[in-house]
Amino acid sequence: MWENRCKVAISGVGYSKATRSADIPLAAHALEAVRGAVADSGLRMEDIDGLATYPELPATGHAEVDGISVVSVNCMMAMLKLPNLTWHIQVGTTNIGGAVQQATNALLAGVCKYAVVWRAMHNPSGTYQNLPGNMAAGATQFTGPFGFGGPGQGMAVAYTRWLEKNNQTRDKMATLAVTQRKHTQHNPHAYFYGTPLTREDYFASRMVAYPFCLFDCDIPVQGAVAVVLTLADRARDLKPAPAYLAGYGQRLHFETAGRIGSLSSYMEGGSSSAKLTWERSGFTPKDVDVAQIYDGFSASVIYGLESYGFCKEGEALDFIQDGRIELDGDLPLNTFGGSLGTGRIHGLWHIIEGALQASGRAGSRQVKDVNVSFVGASAPIVTGTTFIFVREPY
Amino acid sequence: MSDWSKVTRPIPVPNEWTRPFWAAAKRNALELQRCQSCGHFQHPPFATCTQCISIDLKFEPVRGVGTIYAYTIMYHTGDKRFASAVPYASIVVELDDAPGALMAGNLLGAEYTEAKVGRRVEVVFEPLNDDITLPQWRLANV
Repeated sequence: MWENRCKVAISGVGYSKATRSADIPLAAHALEAVRGAVADSGLRMEDIDGLATYPELPATGHAEVDGISVVSVNCMMAMLKLPNLTWHIQVGTTNIGGAVQQATNALLAGVCKYAVVWRAMHNPSGTYQNLPGNMAAGATQFTGPFGFGGPGQGMAVAYTRWLEKNNQTRDKMATLAVTQRKHTQHNPHAYFYGTPLTREDYFASRMVAYPFCLFDCDIPVQGAVAVVLTLADRARDLKPAPAYLAGYGQRLHFETAGRIGSLSSYMEGGSSSAKLTWERSGFTPKDVDVAQIYDGFSASVIYGLESYGFCKEGEALDFIQDGRIELDGDLPLNTFGGSLGTGRIHGLWHIIEGALQASGRAGSRQVKDVNVSFVGASAPIVTGTTFIFVREPY
Repeated sequence: MSDWSKVTRPIPVPNEWTRPFWAAAKRNALELQRCQSCGHFQHPPFATCTQCISIDLKFEPVRGVGTIYAYTIMYHTGDKRFASAVPYASIVVELDDAPGALMAGNLLGAEYTEAKVGRRVEVVFEPLNDDITLPQWRLANV
């Protein structure tokens, strides 16, 4: 087991409004989320001495302008002018989960006391994956000429492989979309709060990239979320109940650029990250009371459930049936609505929900008697990270 | 059947690793990068053998027959270059001669509904211009 388990905790969390169009600069969303997280902890801004993010814009073909389409650490430093800042970083090989892990490491190393991590996501006007140009350079030379554009198609090919190899049908995925939208109705910060979804809606929706229909894809939004991390001893003195970090992991496998369609890459990515998390925390999938698993595209949940060890390969779509992922089920899943409910803010919202469930702060969607709260914060293949938060330090 | 006539495919830009692949395709031949130490074929080309880390890699001919490993049917028209062809099948092919080396392409000359995991396909060559020819795929009985 990890000697540093439960020595770091997530304290406050914050949100900006998630909007469909980019009416105000992204920096304003990030600021609102960061201020919210700091206030939720009962801290003052001058207490914050660590900053971390993953600022990447996943939309292609749009200008990357700091403060407009991304919010870098430099941008946040310029806005906040923190008088006591001692540490900051941006991560690359992992998504926002890596920023949370780096902040954890910095706290354990004693180089900052209260770290803020935010994820701000821009929704550019026009087509999200804007693919102009008549040349395909680099890794895209083997995919672009054949109409493989955005990441959705890359995940869709692995999904057809999974479906047909396992003799399964995409109809079963309706349960995930509908259940998560039900959870969303308990999350007032979510984009689809107030908008229910029925099985009929799912089956009537237009196909995007088979097997993905519209409701298998998270909707691009403009918004930001943020968390405050601190050492457990300090977290206990703050306003909210702490969510103790029992262990984390990151994916240790990567596919050579341009190779698509392989299912084993998702499985190796996810299992390598989860293995570290189970070993460090000492828990197993059977101990988990509630799980948040990244769902930018619905099939990501399949790869997560299977590669993290919650069910066997080929069984994930059967596993999620019969009420298992409901708030009172055996494994309540994406209880905040997931990205399919909140809109595309990447994995920090999954981490926030994992922390809220562990600290008993999830309100009307709180799962009963949670101690072990699991998070898979990105698609296992690409930038996967995994976490376990607990209510009781051990 | 998907109408590809109005599609403007982005044209591959060969680089140090990929030039021999495109030179072979121009001759209507399929050649993949092969490790000279362990015999492993790989695609797309990479700096090292992804099995044994050898840097001794050469392009060698493979037969253009294999099976559909995975596919997706594109309906979304966000990519204007391909909008006129929707719905169309983008497929991933695993060659008989190169297990694990996955090649992306389109299923040509067949309804997009014919794309299924495990279907047998063979290579056809689609010239884009004087320099670049794309290896593409059609259903096969081989």
